Amino acid sequence: MGSLGRRLGRGPAKYSAAALVWRGLRGGQWPRIWRDAELKRSYDAVIVGGGVHGLATAYYLARNHGIKDVAVLDKAYLGSGASGRNTAIVRANYLTPEGVAFYDRSLQLYNTMATDLNINVMFSERGHLTLAHNDSSLRTMHWRAEVNKLQGVDSSVIGPDEIKKVAPSLDTSSHPRYPILGALYHPPGGIVRHDAVVWGYARAADCMGVEMHQKTEVLDILCEGGDGTDGKGPGGRVVGVRTSRGDISTPVVVNCTAGWASLISAMAGVRLPITTHPLQAAVTEPVKVFLPTVVVSGSLHVYISQTDRGELVFGAAVDPVATYSIRGSLEFTEELAGHVLELMPGVSRMRLLRQWSGLCDMTPDYSPVMGFTGVDGFLVDVGWGTYGFKAAPVSGEQMAEAVATGRTPELIAPFALSRFDTGELVGEKGAAAVGH
Amino acid sequence: MTMGRLGNAQPTEVIDRGAKLSFRWNGKRFGGFEGDTIASALAAAGEQVFSRSMKYHRPRGILTADYWDPNLLVQVGDDPNVRAGHRRLEAGMEVSAQNVWPSLRRDIKAANGLVGRFLTAGFYYKTFMRPARLWPAYERVLATFAPGGKIDLDTPHRYHDKRYMHPDVVVAGAGPAGIEAALAASADGARVLLVEHEHAVGGHLRYDSRDTAVAALAELRAALDASDVEVLTDSTVTGRYEDNWLGIVQRSHPVAVERLIKARAKTLVVAPGLIERPYVFAGNDRPGVITSTAARRLINLWGVKPGERAVVFTANADGDAAAADLDRAGVEIAAVIDGRQGHRVSSTQGSPRAVEAVVSGGNRIEADLLVVAAGWTAPTSLLNMAGDRPVYDPPAARFFAADPPGNVLATGGLAGDGTLDELRAHGAATGRLAAQRAAAVAHRLQALTARAQPVGGEEPPWAPDDRIPLGRDPHPELYRSDTHGMVDFSEDVGSKDLMAAAGEGYDSVELAKRYTTATMGPSQGKLETVNTVAAIAEARGETIAAVGTTVWRPPYAPLTLGALAGRGFEPVRVSSIQPWHEANGVHTILAGQWIRPDHYGDPAAEVRNVRSNVGLIDVTPLGKLDLRGPDVAKLLNLLYTNKWSKLPVGKVRYGMMCAEDGVVLDDGVTGRLGDEHYLMTTTSSGAGGVWEWVENWLQTERPDWRVHVTPVTTAYTSINVAGPKARELVSRVTDGVDLSPEAFAYMEVRTATVAGVAGCFMWRIGFTGELSFEIHVPAGCGLHVWEALMDAGDDLGVGPFGLEGQRIMRLEKGHFIVGQDTDGLTLGPSTGLGPLIKLDKDDFAGKPELAWAVGRPLPMIVAIQPDDPNIVPAEASQIVAGDTNQILGRITSSRMSPTLGRSICLGQVEPELAAGGTKLTVLLTTGERVGATVMDHHAHFDPTGERLRG
Repeated sequence: MGSLGRRLGRGPAKYSAAALVWRGLRGGQWPRIWRDAELKRSYDAVIVGGGVHGLATAYYLARNHGIKDVAVLDKAYLGSGASGRNTAIVRANYLTPEGVAFYDRSLQLYNTMATDLNINVMFSERGHLTLAHNDSSLRTMHWRAEVNKLQGVDSSVIGPDEIKKVAPSLDTSSHPRYPILGALYHPPGGIVRHDAVVWGYARAADCMGVEMHQKTEVLDILCEGGDGTDGKGPGGRVVGVRTSRGDISTPVVVNCTAGWASLISAMAGVRLPITTHPLQAAVTEPVKVFLPTVVVSGSLHVYISQTDRGELVFGAAVDPVATYSIRGSLEFTEELAGHVLELMPGVSRMRLLRQWSGLCDMTPDYSPVMGFTGVDGFLVDVGWGTYGFKAAPVSGEQMAEAVATGRTPELIAPFALSRFDTGELVGEKGAAAVGH
Repeated sequence: MTMGRLGNAQPTEVIDRGAKLSFRWNGKRFGGFEGDTIASALAAAGEQVFSRSMKYHRPRGILTADYWDPNLLVQVGDDPNVRAGHRRLEAGMEVSAQNVWPSLRRDIKAANGLVGRFLTAGFYYKTFMRPARLWPAYERVLATFAPGGKIDLDTPHRYHDKRYMHPDVVVAGAGPAGIEAALAASADGARVLLVEHEHAVGGHLRYDSRDTAVAALAELRAALDASDVEVLTDSTVTGRYEDNWLGIVQRSHPVAVERLIKARAKTLVVAPGLIERPYVFAGNDRPGVITSTAARRLINLWGVKPGERAVVFTANADGDAAAADLDRAGVEIAAVIDGRQGHRVSSTQGSPRAVEAVVSGGNRIEADLLVVAAGWTAPTSLLNMAGDRPVYDPPAARFFAADPPGNVLATGGLAGDGTLDELRAHGAATGRLAAQRAAAVAHRLQALTARAQPVGGEEPPWAPDDRIPLGRDPHPELYRSDTHGMVDFSEDVGSKDLMAAAGEGYDSVELAKRYTTATMGPSQGKLETVNTVAAIAEARGETIAAVGTTVWRPPYAPLTLGALAGRGFEPVRVSSIQPWHEANGVHTILAGQWIRPDHYGDPAAEVRNVRSNVGLIDVTPLGKLDLRGPDVAKLLNLLYTNKWSKLPVGKVRYGMMCAEDGVVLDDGVTGRLGDEHYLMTTTSSGAGGVWEWVENWLQTERPDWRVHVTPVTTAYTSINVAGPKARELVSRVTDGVDLSPEAFAYMEVRTATVAGVAGCFMWRIGFTGELSFEIHVPAGCGLHVWEALMDAGDDLGVGPFGLEGQRIMRLEKGHFIVGQDTDGLTLGPSTGLGPLIKLDKDDFAGKPELAWAVGRPLPMIVAIQPDDPNIVPAEASQIVAGDTNQILGRITSSRMSPTLGRSICLGQVEPELAAGGTKLTVLLTTGERVGATVMDHHAHFDPTGERLRG
């Protein structure tokens, strides 16, 4: 990071214990994490969406490909969407070899992120338990474990006695409705401080010259030569972006939004097969740490982790109804609490502190849409459903490569938009939908 | 001792000095009175320190003396984070301080205060990165700083209840305005629920000992008692959701630990009053610095003298009233610092309790109590949840309701200021408006319901808001003094932290909140949000209005998971035959919601008995849908991949369903019972999902089709009679049906009387490969028919068999199970049932994807036999390419076959390996690799099906 700072010739912004002490003694103010820049009239590339995907893309564009004249636009503040609303779980124990390879790369990048970006993203490699409450889910756990083992991913099925050792708060006694018969145990899985990932990418990208523009809403994407109105649509090319702060000319626009992906893409005349559903989550008041791992139950539609601050963080499945409304519901908290107490009756006196909701862009095959779109210069990294956070680093890396080289990297080729025309859907439904 | 109980009873006190209670605090015995809170009893006993702050472990005392007091979170028995400022004292309570070690008095982590300047907000993002291998150790240390109490994992899920209500008007908050609103609405004929957060109604009148206040409260209470208003105290409206759907937690309930009330209010009146805001200055978190409300509550509610010598910093009339209360309680007033005159408090000094206050101009005043009245925060949460975005008014120095939806009305402090009479009048006007609008909403709702009684009369007009608005008292904007102090007491975040964060670029409220964690603790921003906004505004050089506030999300007050979960209904289902199973040594297995027989001791013996004699299996969980109407055949054509138009009455047919992505969704048989009457069966696990699937198609895609769907899974007990002697057995108990193979062939259905029970459906199908009759008996008679079959077949060797026996036999026959041998990726043709996919049909679910799949190489389900007949590869064993790790398939089902005396499997393999005779390598879960062979047929046994057609 010292090297990052030097590239821009900026002062010693390096984060370290020594720097904390030095500033503590001197009483000095830390430099801004990213600059407040004037919005220019032209950029080499514009990224729509200042979440983890957009910022990671910007970072890798600058770092791996030297493309630094980049603006990241967000209509609110950085990390205001799904990046700051997810439950921050990462793992690589997927079901298909393709899924395992993709997410394993992401996990590797998370693993070294603190030192790569010189910000402590607090990756807590605490292990990840996916519980099986019936013999059919136990069979699926065995399947995942066998595939994972062959891919070199640390993952195995453990029985109730061992589960009790890993997470003593789980009720492994005989239980009529949801007995805990076993679990897929994935020691490398864990949680990451999601906001720190946002800030880390933004800060590192900023150091290399990328500009972050908050409260800058994209109103239209300017195209020419396309089949549709105003030169939009297939066959056309991107020439600029109209924002709430004025027009920008650029040959490349990358749509890295979640929740608004289909609306932004429509601005370029690109239709996406996406429906948007809210996903709710909630957090309790803190208590002393008692839950050392991430616990997921597919049958009970719940995933639970306890932060280092002592709060239990809960998530669930997406709401069944497609809507852009992100108001939470009472029923969600009732069902959630009921399910949590099935698993851990001992927490009945813990208090729910806050509930919230975020938007998930769901595709028909539970896989993202990545890469080129038929409109020259308009790329998408969207449709991330409920699993976008886990994939952010590798997505950014691959999208940056696509922008820089003009070719689709092999790792994301299966996720091309064209698959919805050719019918070659990705078999990730089983892989990605198995839970968090 | 500086705090203590006042000798003389106060006119407004809520304690019963005749009823002494004994409890323990940190292991030591203490006493209190009935009516005390935990905090008031401890304060009366002279306790000054109740907790330690989260990060620096600074000693903390009473701040607000109510539910929102961030310093009064304690452990009571197995209950963590109990609000000692609110929870009533009970005899025998075991109360202890949280998150201190070794003790509250001597807490080792207080040493953090010495290095506080290095531990600025968010410091952890900037360190502990190298060496990376030490981070887990750092993390463990950081985790010890988690605040809060302790969970006792043995805490039982005690009895919690739920209640549903449909009141016309819900009033949240029973201060004078709220009570008047409830009374007025009730007088106008509305059914009214009045919800009060505290233990009694009255709001701020409760701790106002002036004669006018005492008289007014008595009058309001009497009026409430005489009214039809339902009053809930110690209860909170925790959330307002779509269409005034309210969550209300009732903490004091005679039977349940807590009760969650779910109410659909036609109108909601929001009247929570105001919450006093702390003032930010150095040492504002020292014990002895309290809000004016806290001082008045301590004196007037519990007769507690909060100190000996006080400095009062006041910027409003309530602060003046506090000074008067203190004086009356015998507290020496060392100084009154008037914020309205521009005077300020700068800092306090002393340890742990404030012993010296420094005021503007540098004057130092000795005191042990600093009472602060610096302004008010409007708890606008419920308005926020209704979509309102409250607006900051600088002259009044607080936020006000902006423009809530018409069925949400604010009154009291959220609406403005005024004399007691003005507040009461505004409340009453609000109640009348709420009742009028509720009547209009009721009329609309009734008119919406199709089959309801015809709505009489005209819809009442939507009453205009003609309330006389309350005024707004001017108030100085007091947020931070000339020093830095604590903003978020729960999270130990100071104004310096916030301003530093803003300077570092976290300069919107949301970013600063996320970076510093300010407003994210248990008091949920009630005390600290506006001070947080003020600090950001100051750092940015902007106004509070420009910075704006964060979005308040539900719940308004934290509520327990127990209350939300309620009684924890997770029912299991059993068939009507379960008593017989239990009496006969059953080993059960959980399948979805069902508990069903897995076996009765020896599944292999059960298999041999079915293959040689006859067996009975309880298949009640099989999904069953009764379909009636002229368009059923069209529906079946749409849902199944094969054709149904020509199915005659009396026949059954097997069908496979695919989802729209072509993936196998379910399978089963459907029989035609009459011209327009069919019975569809689904897999047991798919019963609920298929019902939803059917309804989804009918309701959203084909609403014009006339099909009536009734799920009848539990209306019938289903028994399969299987084995070579099945016909003989069934004939002994059946009347009215010719069971001969000529008259009742394989894949046919009849209605029969079985064991005297009329109206049974019987069809000849089976999963076991044997001659089978599946009998669907009206559920109430299921046990009778089962026992009749058992009795009648004694000489035939009849015996029960369970799921495991059936699984073995179906595997011997090579029948796949959806969800076991198929998965979320398995397209229809992969099952080997390609001929059942009729692409020449007009349309059916999954057709485009299945058409795309034609001719493409797909993984296939095949029968596999290991070369070593004694090796049973575990299900999920991978099929690999020789010695490599390349995956070519997997074993999906495997068993030792009692019939064949060898191991048998089904598996999925890559298309090039699907031909019979192909040699495979199976990687066992032990790591060993063994050889296996793909079979020519799915069926390992009786591939031509002679036995089941017999």
